[in-house]
Amino acid sequence: MKFILQMLLRELRSSWRRLVFFFVCVSIGVGAIVSLRSLIQNIEVALTTESRTLVAGDVYLQSGEPWTNEVLQILKNRLSNVSSFQRTEIVDTTTMARWVNSDSTSVKVVELRGLEAEFPFYGEFKLGSEQDYSFEILKDYGALVGPELLNQMGIEIGEKITIGEIDFTVRGTVLQEPGGQLGAFNFGPRVLIDREALNDTGILTFGSRANYRILLKLHEAEIGMLVEHLSEDLDSEFIRVGSYRNTESRIERYLTRTENYLSLVGFVIVILGGIGVWSVMRIFVQQRLNSIAVLKCLGATTGRVLSVYIAQVAILGLFGSLLGIFLANVAMASVPASLTQEAAEVAGFSIISTQLTDSAILQGLVVGVFASLLFALIPLLEVQNVKPLILLQQNQNKASSSFYWLRILIICLVVVLLLLIASWQANSMEVGFYVVGGFVCVSLVLHLLGLGLMASVAPLETTRWFSLRHAALNLRRPGNQTRIILLSVGLGSFFIVGVRSLQANLLNNFALELREDTPDMFLIDIQDDQADDVTAILKKNINHEPQLVPVLQARVIGVKGRVLSLDSASEARRAGLGREYTVTYRSHLEENERIIAGSFWDEESSTIPEVSIEESLYERRDIQLGDTVKFDVLGREFQARVTSIRAVDWDDSRSGGFMFLFSPGFFDDAPHTFIGFLKGPSDVSSRANLQREIAEKYPNVSIIDGLDILSTVRRVLDYVTLAITVVGLIALLSGSLILIGSVAMTKFQRIYEAAIFRTLGANTKTLTATLIFEYGVLGIIAGTVGSFGALLLTWVLVNQVFDLAWLPALSEHLVGILLTAVIVCAVGVLSSLDVLQRKPLAILRAE
Amino acid sequence: MIKLCGISKTVQSGGKPLTILHPLDLVIPSGQFLSIVGPSGSGKSTLLGLIAGLDVPSTGSIEIDEIEITNLKEDHLAQLRGKKIGFIFQFFHLIPSLSAIENILVPLEINGVSNAKEKALLLLQDVDLADRGHHYPSQLSGGEQQRVAIARALANDPKIILADEPTGNLDSTSGRHIIDLLSEVNKKRGTTVVLVTHNTELIDYSDVMLVIRDGKTNQVGVSS
Repeated sequence: MKFILQMLLRELRSSWRRLVFFFVCVSIGVGAIVSLRSLIQNIEVALTTESRTLVAGDVYLQSGEPWTNEVLQILKNRLSNVSSFQRTEIVDTTTMARWVNSDSTSVKVVELRGLEAEFPFYGEFKLGSEQDYSFEILKDYGALVGPELLNQMGIEIGEKITIGEIDFTVRGTVLQEPGGQLGAFNFGPRVLIDREALNDTGILTFGSRANYRILLKLHEAEIGMLVEHLSEDLDSEFIRVGSYRNTESRIERYLTRTENYLSLVGFVIVILGGIGVWSVMRIFVQQRLNSIAVLKCLGATTGRVLSVYIAQVAILGLFGSLLGIFLANVAMASVPASLTQEAAEVAGFSIISTQLTDSAILQGLVVGVFASLLFALIPLLEVQNVKPLILLQQNQNKASSSFYWLRILIICLVVVLLLLIASWQANSMEVGFYVVGGFVCVSLVLHLLGLGLMASVAPLETTRWFSLRHAALNLRRPGNQTRIILLSVGLGSFFIVGVRSLQANLLNNFALELREDTPDMFLIDIQDDQADDVTAILKKNINHEPQLVPVLQARVIGVKGRVLSLDSASEARRAGLGREYTVTYRSHLEENERIIAGSFWDEESSTIPEVSIEESLYERRDIQLGDTVKFDVLGREFQARVTSIRAVDWDDSRSGGFMFLFSPGFFDDAPHTFIGFLKGPSDVSSRANLQREIAEKYPNVSIIDGLDILSTVRRVLDYVTLAITVVGLIALLSGSLILIGSVAMTKFQRIYEAAIFRTLGANTKTLTATLIFEYGVLGIIAGTVGSFGALLLTWVLVNQVFDLAWLPALSEHLVGILLTAVIVCAVGVLSSLDVLQRKPLAILRAE
Repeated sequence: MIKLCGISKTVQSGGKPLTILHPLDLVIPSGQFLSIVGPSGSGKSTLLGLIAGLDVPSTGSIEIDEIEITNLKEDHLAQLRGKKIGFIFQFFHLIPSLSAIENILVPLEINGVSNAKEKALLLLQDVDLADRGHHYPSQLSGGEQQRVAIARALANDPKIILADEPTGNLDSTSGRHIIDLLSEVNKKRGTTVVLVTHNTELIDYSDVMLVIRDGKTNQVGVSS
């Protein structure tokens, strides 16, 4: 043990300069993991802290229809098993509010909420003018309104607004309220009234759009079980049951995607660092072969020699990790507080901390040390093959390739451990499997290509061109670096291009939300006889013809199919098809739709009613191609055959989305209305004029102004985009740095050779040309394999993990191939510059 | 005592067997100074490697102090070398990252010797390098490096010193100094010395000379 410790200290003292790059690789990887993990964990903490307030209760039941006695009975039964609970109910709806004293021009779409005295269980109202909230304020037809409503309608506190059939007195403004789902944006200013008063308004009639929510407060330990039981009981009722732990929203989905991406990038940077570590250790061991042989001659066993180097790697890994943590701390501290504050506000949090978290630090240390050991282990195995006999025979191949089976065993062990670390880091076995699987596959391909390359350049060994001949000889000679460079550069390119490509896919998806032509104004309930005139008004205001989509309300009342057979509306309801669907008909597919099975109808040949279903109806409700579905369309029965299944990109809101899409020509006589998606005028007064004009002429038409929603979404996506871009850039820079270092390290193996060539009369131009040929070929092959691997990895991740439409991002891959070749070539030549310029004698003496 | 019975070495060269050391019987009694001489490529170093257990003979057996070494595992051989054999190489093979005294300390530490530092300092004095202990190999001349190598070889008081062309990389003065040292060790400590050389001048120091040519031992002579 004393020998191991003494040698460890001496080796550390003498070789730290050679291992600085090792240190850098580990610290970059760990720095990335710790900072990204901390950021993710801080966001998660913010989410958990805020989620109770966002829900305003522990458990919620949410429905688009009033509670039926059946549902209430189920709830009552389940709550009878709960030790104690509190319950309250709220109803949200979008409606029009009008100033009582106006000449009906001051009409505004508002987000109306009816609430009870017990609301909220968590969180507090914040009212304007430092007013304290009390339910008494809402009694006797009182209302609290968003301050923007006062401005928009030109009214003051104390005045009255009309909602439905009731006049409400505005008694204050509400600045902040609990119970607004994260990311559930308001379509208009908030208006809060008493739940009972909402009934009196008469707007909650049959078929009206409202969101009914029951909130429960109960003991923490009973939440999970209750949610599980209620979800099972109410599965067929289209009632969503959840708890504060699983609030779902659009923003949260983006955050989840971003979180997965950040975790993945963090791990990828660690792998890149690992490749650097492997590269450093490989060269380090090769430079130590003589010393290892001497130690063996002096009586040291292989185990003791290996222990010295493994301990050295562990210590360097530990100190590299500590440096990485320090770098992460510096990076997090340098994020401007104003940026995190604003990002927190946009996401709906109180604050996002920029402190490093303890668990992220611990993870960084563990991953740093383990990744160092795992990646260093394979080159260190070479110690076992070193025979002391080399000290007597200078020209002998210094490390034999015995213990092949042990090498394979260790490589398998390293891969399994990497898989476990990757799964842990990405919080998903699936992601870990894809990333490490890709790593292994690309390594194998690169290994085989290396062998193929060495065989294929053999004919060049007889060419008359010196540089080309020696480039080919270098690629093939014993102890060559062909496979080593291919492996390190190919894997590096695989991960860097993969991250870039994934980034392009994510940003492309977000870009759909940020498109200039994204609709920001929605019109609902346009009657058949109003469509032409509404179109004319819109055309006049937005300077182009808007697209109005005909819609009908339909219910499934039967299915005759291969798998599913339903004979009545009640059976359809039990099968989860009981809700009222908004359906449409048309002869074409929209941009956000694609057929995944069957064929879309040809308008002229369509003689029988056909319906195209959204893929979830096929996957979750078992409706198959060729099935006949019977609908109740406003009292009329209607049958259609399923002839295609569509995938709808719901994130692309320009054309909306429909679960059932019918072939045209069969609903001409059916009573239907129109909805419109359009991009309204950009200036506020023109938007107001347009809304006023339609509201005055057609009060039944609801206009939803989505400009504020889109602005908020855009601000969130701007931050997410910034985060992804910055992290992608970090991966690119750190990965490139590590790869440049890996290639540059190979110069130590060329020094002696270059010195011999110089002594024999080769000039700089000749040597440079040789290097360009050699590294150029390696760069092109490594870049190509890495890019193709990245293409496959991105395809799998985007489809399986991120659940997005895949974009090949070919430009990223082509640039990847080109840049890899150029960088490898440039680094190979530049790192050897000093070799080319130094006097050969010094090098030959040193050898 | 070193006992070689019918040892030979055959390797594959261009797909054909090539015998680089023909069958040889040899007994080297304890305390003998044996020189193995012959031209380059004659098989001298191969024989030395076999005696040290660094290589495996194709036929025959080797005993060191009645221990049959040809079937020992690598780690056992390493331990045997650490305790019984000291090496001196033509290219010195000091560990470049360690100072002179640290190079001498390594075999002592491998064997767990308690007063290693003191012993290393004494060895340095023995080779007249007491004031150069903290110099690195790159800061020492070839002769000085070889003297450090001798001190390292003597660290564990080995019964056998195997020296492979120890003067091959040195000028004649330094070379003579090294051979004087080896001779002194042989005489004062009774250490068996097996010296491989192509320099016939050095055979004056030997008790016995073994001449090898093309892998065959042509002559075993006794020095004058």
